[in-house]
Amino acid sequence: MAELFPVSFLFFAAALVLPLLPMMVRSFLLLGVPVLSGMIVWSLPEGMLWQVSFFGFELELMRVDPLSRIFALIFSLAAFLGNLYAWHVRDTVQQVAALLYVGSAIGAVLAGDLLTLFFYWEGTAIASVFLIWARGTEGAYWTGMRYLIIQIGSGVLLMAGAVVWYHETGSLAFERMTLGSLATWLIFISFGIKCAFPLLHNWLQDSYPAATVTGTVILSAFTTKLAVYALARGFAGTEILVYIGAVMTLFPIFYAVIENDLRRVLAYSLNNQLGFMVVGVGIGTELALNGTAAHAFAHILYKALLFMSVGAVLFRTGTAKGSELGGLYKTMPLTMIFCVVGAASISAFPLFSGFVTKSMILSAAVKEHYYIVWAILLFASAGVFHHSGIKIPYFAFFAHDSGMRPKEAPTHMLLAMGITAFLCIAIGVYPAPLYALLPYDVTYHSYTTTHVITQLQLLFFSALAFTVLMRTGIYPPELKSVNLDSDWIYRKAAPRVIGVLASYVSQINSSVLTFLNNRVKNTINRLYRSYGPEGRMASTWPTGAMVLSIALLLGATLLVNFAG
Amino acid sequence: MAKRPKKDNPEKFPRLGQLFLWADNPESVNRLVYGLYMLCALLFLADFFYEKHVYLREEEFPGFYALYGFFMCALLVICAKGMRIVLKRDEDYYAPKDVESEDYPEDQLDKAENDG
Amino acid sequence: MATAEVAVASKTLADHLPVLQVVVPLVTSPLIVVIGVRSLAWPLAFIASVIAFIISCLLLYQVIDGGFISYAIGGWAPPLGIEYRVDATNALLLFLISGISVIGLPYALTSIRFEIGAKNETLFYACYLLCFTGLLGVVITGDAFNIFVFLEISSLSTYVLVAQGAIRDKRALTAAYDYLIMGTIGATFFVIGIGMLYMSTGTLNLADIADRIADQGSNRTIRAAFAFIVVGMGLKVALVPLHLWLPNAYTFAPSAVTVFLAATSTKAAVYVLLRFMFSVYHPSFIFEVNTLYFIFIPFALLAMFAASFVAIFQSDFKRMLAYSSIAQIGYMLMGIAMLNVAGLTSTIVHMFNHGITKAVLFMGVGAFVLKVGSSFYDSIHGLGRRMPITGACIVIGGLSLIGVPGTAGFISKWMLMQAAFENGFWWIAVLVVLSSLLAVAYVWRALDVIYLKAPLDDSVTRDPPLTMLIPMIILAVACVWFGIDTTISIGAASTAAESLLNGSFGMMPTEIPAEMPAEVPAPTIESAPEPETAPAPAPTESQ
Repeated sequence: MAELFPVSFLFFAAALVLPLLPMMVRSFLLLGVPVLSGMIVWSLPEGMLWQVSFFGFELELMRVDPLSRIFALIFSLAAFLGNLYAWHVRDTVQQVAALLYVGSAIGAVLAGDLLTLFFYWEGTAIASVFLIWARGTEGAYWTGMRYLIIQIGSGVLLMAGAVVWYHETGSLAFERMTLGSLATWLIFISFGIKCAFPLLHNWLQDSYPAATVTGTVILSAFTTKLAVYALARGFAGTEILVYIGAVMTLFPIFYAVIENDLRRVLAYSLNNQLGFMVVGVGIGTELALNGTAAHAFAHILYKALLFMSVGAVLFRTGTAKGSELGGLYKTMPLTMIFCVVGAASISAFPLFSGFVTKSMILSAAVKEHYYIVWAILLFASAGVFHHSGIKIPYFAFFAHDSGMRPKEAPTHMLLAMGITAFLCIAIGVYPAPLYALLPYDVTYHSYTTTHVITQLQLLFFSALAFTVLMRTGIYPPELKSVNLDSDWIYRKAAPRVIGVLASYVSQINSSVLTFLNNRVKNTINRLYRSYGPEGRMASTWPTGAMVLSIALLLGATLLVNFAG
Repeated sequence: MAKRPKKDNPEKFPRLGQLFLWADNPESVNRLVYGLYMLCALLFLADFFYEKHVYLREEEFPGFYALYGFFMCALLVICAKGMRIVLKRDEDYYAPKDVESEDYPEDQLDKAENDG
Repeated sequence: MATAEVAVASKTLADHLPVLQVVVPLVTSPLIVVIGVRSLAWPLAFIASVIAFIISCLLLYQVIDGGFISYAIGGWAPPLGIEYRVDATNALLLFLISGISVIGLPYALTSIRFEIGAKNETLFYACYLLCFTGLLGVVITGDAFNIFVFLEISSLSTYVLVAQGAIRDKRALTAAYDYLIMGTIGATFFVIGIGMLYMSTGTLNLADIADRIADQGSNRTIRAAFAFIVVGMGLKVALVPLHLWLPNAYTFAPSAVTVFLAATSTKAAVYVLLRFMFSVYHPSFIFEVNTLYFIFIPFALLAMFAASFVAIFQSDFKRMLAYSSIAQIGYMLMGIAMLNVAGLTSTIVHMFNHGITKAVLFMGVGAFVLKVGSSFYDSIHGLGRRMPITGACIVIGGLSLIGVPGTAGFISKWMLMQAAFENGFWWIAVLVVLSSLLAVAYVWRALDVIYLKAPLDDSVTRDPPLTMLIPMIILAVACVWFGIDTTISIGAASTAAESLLNGSFGMMPTEIPAEMPAEVPAPTIESAPEPETAPAPAPTESQ
């Protein structure tokens, strides 16, 4: 029965009936659909399973192979956890948006051709923006608009690239491409926007902290990982990605250190983690691609866990800013523990999930002789521990006592966090099942003495640096502030420049218009001089101008005809 | 610890929270930090007691990872602190088209005080 | 021509369908006036439309796979007599025009009563049917002078219909006056062009003119005739810069009239252009290609951008839609100028798709006018939330106007882009996409007003009555339906495009054998040489 319909339709159908159901039933539907889709994806045989003819094109809606399967599986899992975390939400818009968003993301990873990919690509953009708008404030509205414009823009580039690609190759199949032609560059940049390449990244840090408590958890899992999947599918082994990825791992960690909003810190560290995956895609060896897939899998879980724990704090206290928080471990100890588990996972402590996945990418980098990139990744690993691993739990739950004594997170949130934390540890302790899911058969041993000890050295000395800097007072305190990033260009500079330009243009425009107006009036005055007084002329000139345009066009047409 | 409410009653904290209360004590924090120093020293020394399987010559240098981690992190923080001079703006810099200066809408939250 | 014998024997009602298509509404119109009973006016008009619609369906069914029906009026065989000729191109147009009429009339019932008052209803519907007749006639006839006659019938009645808006806003009178001046000039140019053609070919039958032009080649008269016909029809089409009558006419006309006009009238004019460009003249004439490249492409681009920009800054929903119509006509003309099957298909499909899209949007606006008496953005704040079904229909229409995949508008733009790529005009494809972004802007602005702004007061609480709602829903569903299932629209359009490019309006074995009795009205269905059953990529087939 699994081949009867594409998996994404399951979500769309659920989104369709959901508004008609009573609240209790909805909650179960929201949990049941991801479970069902996970089971279906698990049981699907490999191959192209579902075609539909659209407009003379054969669209492939279900390409199942190891690469798409692992992403579809983790997306289903993330949807389940996200919806469990959002159990308390009674907002129909958010529930429907979440279903459509997840459905589109799963549809996109199973898409076998560029046109289908485009449909789902835009689907994720449109559905997800409602998770931001659902916050319902003016700031969220504008942030959502910025997010939507950028996401739709990415889709438009993809569409343009697909059209050009079709005319270059005569095929719409979504397969590995070589960067070079206009088409591939368009598609590449489209993927790059969604993947938050440096300078194209800003929508991510802008929008994720603006979404609702639960919306951010759901947002964090899909859009960017879909882009990683698309890159792995289309541009594996493209060398430029190695360097793009290296820069991506690097610059967000600086921002993360001085950022105040903890959810934005997490957005920066998300960007940094994407960098690791992009490097893996760029290296393109079997080990590297395995590393990318595995890291994406683990990353979705621990990143969701971190967003969940910070979200729980926000849910209980009304803020997620480091400068306002502190000392919450006393009354939210479970949330704190789950946060620490997430932090340990993202920092790649032995026995946690990041350890068994991130190292594959580092090993692949060093095996392919990208030494500088390897050094950058190592630095970024230390850095990520610094800001996500220490900073998040420290400023939220310890640091100076904020005096807030919020209640522990609600049970469903604790449950969602608990399951996620369990999975993070399970993967770290026993990675074999995850390795079995990977696209290629590679035997990789992460738990070697050297690896464990060097990793512990790296992490503990980073912690040491943090401690020393903290105790000497060098560490920058959390301040109520925003930091300029490249979005400054379109949020401040461009409007200002446009404002200046617009005033010039309108001046020029009005003078040109006055000039033309006078000209037209003069012409018409002359044409109609014999026909009567000023008043009548004023009322007839529009018709006269129309007639004039006819004469001009006829003249032009005759000219063209006789010249030809 | 300045804003600590007057009527803070640790008995009302969750059981698990009470277990962690020692972290409030500066003395135990100090102890924790010394523990970290010890651990770091041990890890550094550990490099001399096993056979390192690495790809690069540089990696074989004893304590490479430790020193790299320490100094790069220090560098990271100092650079980031320097960036603040240029990049820091008021919270309402982008207002009103930004969420940073807004309060999170209360009706979507469930703010609850811990009351045991 | 063995069919002649058969034709005599089988002179059943079905054979007279082409003429009935026009005669039924033509006769009903004076009937309404003669009967003069107000309560019967609408039902009669509706019945006439339904009959016309059924006939158009039957005709479309007969010709959708290629081939054509030739009908000689009064038994006078063409080229002497007037010939009605139905092929896939005009059958699709007949289907659109009569379909919109059937769907639009129930809508008009409430809307017109509100906007012009019950007093004038009898004359209004008589006039409406005349306009309807004229458009059908323009499309169905195969005789050049007959086109002019029907064009005048439809135009004169249109001026009256537009002027009906004066009951609510006096500016409708100047709008109608401007339209009258422009329309008359256009018609005059057109008839001058036909006169020139008659002068140099000695015939008025389109097929016959085409034969003789093909025989004698081009000369100055024929070229001048072409220019006059293009400009004359350009006025009716509202080709920029001849569009100036359109915004006012659409804005101030009663909503139901705007719905009908926007969906059908410019489309009929585009059809006449197509007919003359491909069936009478042929793109093998270099002057025609020059006209297309140097007049049509620049002005189509101008329309796509200038009119869209104007639309963005409008403060009146209805007027915004009017300007968007001008921009959309740019796409149709661009399709013609591509001079390939995909381009023509896109033009024909866009006539159809834009017809239904604009109809649903204007209907939505009409519903707002019914509720708050105005279509200005300032007065329709938040109405989408108060009138959920109307709002939903407008959203669907708006998406289709933008050309979002899954809606009808996407299909035609996609075809147009394909056509541009086939010619290697990739920059045109880029410009089409860019201008679609402008459409996003003006549609968004409207949606922003009707959804995101807070309603002004609580007076409006529900959707308009069912007679207005159901037509809107049908058209909104059609917007989606024709965006997904394109068998009818693309099917008919590509057949039409191929036959147009083959110049096959009649140039096939149409010479009537001398021994054929002249009084035989020969409604024969002749199969055009079918390319293949599958849509053939290249129009290599010739007669």
